[in-house]
Amino acid sequence: MFKIHFRFFSVMEERSSIVKTPLNNVLAQRRSNSYRRSMRSCVEATNLGYTSGHLTALRIPRSRRTPKSRDITKQVDPDQVALLVTKEWELSYVTPLYQFRHTQLKSYSKHLSAFIVSEKQQGLAIEVGQELGFKVNFSVVLGLAETDEDAETVFIQILSRQAFAAKDDAQKVVWSGWLTCVNGDLEYLRSLPSEFVSLPLLCTRGPESLTVLVKSWFEKTFDCCFGPLGINSANLQWLAALWIGCHPNINIQYLKLVWTLPTLPPMDVKYTIHPQDAWELWHSVRQDDTTDVSIEEVTRFIKGLQSHFFRHFRIELSAGSLMQVSTALGSSHHSGKIKIASPTYITTILQLLTECALLKMPI
Amino acid sequence: MELAMSKSSNLTRTDLDSSFESQLSVSSRTSCRSLRLAEKERRKNQTGDPFVLALKYFSEVKAGTPRAGNDVLKRNLVLVERVGLSRGLPPEAISVMLDFAMSLCMGGVMCVRVLKFLIPATVVPQEAVVRAVSWLCVGKIAISTQVLFLRWVLTVFDMIDSKDHLRAIYGFIFSFVTEENLSPYICHLLYLLTRRESVRPFRVRKLLDLQTKMGRQPFLLHLLSLYKVFYPELVTLSLPSRMRSGFKIHNSTWKVALCAVQKRNSGQVSSDISLSLGLKDETNSRKRKFHHLELPSLSSSIQSNSSSSRSRKVLSLEQLHSFPHLLDNLHCIELPSQMGSLLGSSLALCYLDYVQDDSVFLRLNFWLGHALHEEFLYCSRDGSSGSSSEALHFLNRLLSTQHFLQEGFSSTEGFLYKFLNVWDGSLLRPQILGLLSDIPVVPSSCISQLLFEPLMQLFFTSTLFFKCSVIDCLNNMLLKWLTWHSVYALEDGLDISLNRHTPMNMTLSGFMDSVMELVRFVGRLATVGLQLEGCHSLLLSFILDFYETVCDMFLKYGLPLVVMPPAGVFYPALFATDPVSVDRLSYIMYRYKKNLTSAKCQQQETKQAFHISRQTCQEFNHYLLFMVNCLWNSKMFLPGMAIEVDQELLVLSKVPEPWTSFDLNHHPAFLGCALDFHHKCWPERKDIDFNSIKVAKPWNWYMEFLFSQGFQGLQQFAQSSINRRSVAGISGQRGSQPTSR
Repeated sequence: MFKIHFRFFSVMEERSSIVKTPLNNVLAQRRSNSYRRSMRSCVEATNLGYTSGHLTALRIPRSRRTPKSRDITKQVDPDQVALLVTKEWELSYVTPLYQFRHTQLKSYSKHLSAFIVSEKQQGLAIEVGQELGFKVNFSVVLGLAETDEDAETVFIQILSRQAFAAKDDAQKVVWSGWLTCVNGDLEYLRSLPSEFVSLPLLCTRGPESLTVLVKSWFEKTFDCCFGPLGINSANLQWLAALWIGCHPNINIQYLKLVWTLPTLPPMDVKYTIHPQDAWELWHSVRQDDTTDVSIEEVTRFIKGLQSHFFRHFRIELSAGSLMQVSTALGSSHHSGKIKIASPTYITTILQLLTECALLKMPI
Repeated sequence: MELAMSKSSNLTRTDLDSSFESQLSVSSRTSCRSLRLAEKERRKNQTGDPFVLALKYFSEVKAGTPRAGNDVLKRNLVLVERVGLSRGLPPEAISVMLDFAMSLCMGGVMCVRVLKFLIPATVVPQEAVVRAVSWLCVGKIAISTQVLFLRWVLTVFDMIDSKDHLRAIYGFIFSFVTEENLSPYICHLLYLLTRRESVRPFRVRKLLDLQTKMGRQPFLLHLLSLYKVFYPELVTLSLPSRMRSGFKIHNSTWKVALCAVQKRNSGQVSSDISLSLGLKDETNSRKRKFHHLELPSLSSSIQSNSSSSRSRKVLSLEQLHSFPHLLDNLHCIELPSQMGSLLGSSLALCYLDYVQDDSVFLRLNFWLGHALHEEFLYCSRDGSSGSSSEALHFLNRLLSTQHFLQEGFSSTEGFLYKFLNVWDGSLLRPQILGLLSDIPVVPSSCISQLLFEPLMQLFFTSTLFFKCSVIDCLNNMLLKWLTWHSVYALEDGLDISLNRHTPMNMTLSGFMDSVMELVRFVGRLATVGLQLEGCHSLLLSFILDFYETVCDMFLKYGLPLVVMPPAGVFYPALFATDPVSVDRLSYIMYRYKKNLTSAKCQQQETKQAFHISRQTCQEFNHYLLFMVNCLWNSKMFLPGMAIEVDQELLVLSKVPEPWTSFDLNHHPAFLGCALDFHHKCWPERKDIDFNSIKVAKPWNWYMEFLFSQGFQGLQQFAQSSINRRSVAGISGQRGSQPTSR
């Protein structure tokens, strides 16, 4: 029953998003504390013609900028960039963090490591700040933020001392993750009170058990909530189009798409396209050489690929759902996994993912 | 105190004597008793109370007095022991005996014996305990005796009259924690005494040292978990579920005697012997992959403690235990680290109602919205959304919270607008509709898109029962909106009358627009719903419920708005086959009239443009006229009336005198009443002729008869809208004219 609901919902989400909903007042009405307040919001609503802000606070963009290649290493420490790229990350969304301060990262490191140890060793009290088997490093990745409203990215590493390692052996990284916000919706970010920091996208890598612990520490400390962030078909199509658009600058080598068709048993279709062919198709569906890519162009591009496939194999790919997109620039999976291979277009990808994460915000 | 002591010793004497008395025969008892009492009184006055004397002996006995063969000691000890075990010892006696025992005046054996009968009758003076602890510090007492003493303190802990001096020597008590045999008991005692200021980094370190030495001892963990409550930035731990039951109870030695004494003293001091930890009970321990429906536990946050608040006294919500306690500390309460935890405690909700900070609600709404979205909309990766019983439990809790706070959360509202689009109308229906009725006033500009469209779709494709629930839900929603209005309009000093120039009136008109939209929407739903369901009386009843709210908006809630029901509701109710519906319709019409006339009066008084449209009044007049003509005057289907039927068509129907078929003596709803009345009036008549009721006198009787059957609505309607002449006669039309236009 719920699966069906989910589909309906995604349809609805798009439909409702057509109505532009200014966001100024989304957060003004936390709990209608008084009649006066709710009245005020009524009036404002009628004046501004906004739909109470609750339907879909954020709209899904119908066009995007073409990816601009940007040498990120000029703004961001190359060592830190190296930590982010060429790895596969699992995505989650996070509601805004309450009283998170970038200046307190040291103490967060201490607390998180103590928390992990005490959770791992149930029933053993741990002094905060003590040397432990686990070491946690919080660090800021400066320069990834695009606008003033974006909070700086925070990178977290968990290191562990091997059981029988020598004293001065380097500790091994067992888990890493980062919280980021790139080009987040300005109106949404501005509507948040100053006690909240919005870093809506969490990328993690490492054992699930540690991810759970880190999330639960964040939930306890910053009163936030985590949820899995899948990348739906529409966004995978966007990614495919964005990557294809990069081809003239960087050879993407291949475009691989994976569809799952609802047959019994389910059928997976792996569809690899030569980059030049893909680029030509893409180029032909582009209406003009503006800097904006519209959703119609993306749809036409995918339609083109699908009809080509149909001509050859008589299989209607549009009946299935796109599960995976990959090129040499990176890959992404429906279940919420992403790999960014090249630092050049990292902000474009992160902007798209930030958008997905912000769309998941409950208010 | 002296008095209390002598009294208690008196009682003791009689008690001792009663054993002798019981050996006497019943006949002689009464006479002997008075003699004996008198004699005893005399003897006591001469020699003093032996119990007092015994205590005096123990307080003055020199150290090193031999024990063996000491008859005085033996006699006194037996006396005090018997009092202790039977009635409990008064505070002084506790003090004296504890001092005697712990000083080891007569050695350890005596100490153990005394401790075992140290049952307090009322309270334990804390000074006695402090002195005893100081004896403990001397360090001559055998370990087993020390344990016995600590167990005794833990047992009577709640009876110690006050604890501030004991807290003052927290450090001394803490020093015993390293003593291996004592530490379980010391930890328990410390747990009971710990305040925020007693938690120090060096104590935390000491306990952690002990932990490495002794392993994971539950008593250490419990104490440390309390330290964590006060200073989460100093220590962290997670208690395994098997350890969550609390400290062991060590009251075995005294339990029976203590209970007996307390029972005998008729529970003057109730000591809750089981001291338990305030840990979250894991009723719902079943593991779920996604635990978003679990309430977080109340716990203090690492952050807020760290800097500013350390200097001032703060109290975390998890330490609160009663409403008065909350009131006393309202100024210094610290919010928990996770706002969602407030939903789990009614005390915390009381505090939430008091909190003004917007970020508190934002945090709560983020959490709540996240839980609702994940559970019902995103239905996370694992596909099936767990068991619905958890969801049910969660929503019920949310509902009761919202009812407690008397308003809906905005995240619930936002969630509902999305969920209505995908809801099948059966999943958790009572809860969803309950939440829906809690939503605050929706601006009229978007009410249709957010609320009406999805509801309409659900309404028209669902069962009768669902239709009734929706109407009921919307009625509740309207009631809440109106209540908010009537409460806050007064609070804000809003004038009910419209004065078109101040900005406040914009809000009032905005509110009125929303209410208007809602009422009209229900009108549409009701019209079609009644058609679809063949004017089902259950549905009709819910619809009439709604209009009972609507008709009184002006008088009950001060909202200058009158909206008449549509024809699709009015006529089905009027021609309903059950008298209840007709009666309720009459009541509703009566209230409409009241509201309209008083609105009119107010208009004339304040000389302002009337805000109730002419059309509404006309509608009302139409309905009223029709109702009176139909029920009282037997006039129907006439040209110019609301319902016109071609005369030829009526003839074809072959109904004799069709215009009379819905007057009160022929109306199908009142058929039973008319029949009854007919039997009572003319018991001998075999042929029934309802037309014979419609004669001046029987008609008046018939009215009285109907009113006596409990049709109050009909009565009020008749009294307000129909004058005598029109009731009696056929002609009177003027009387039925409403006062409004």
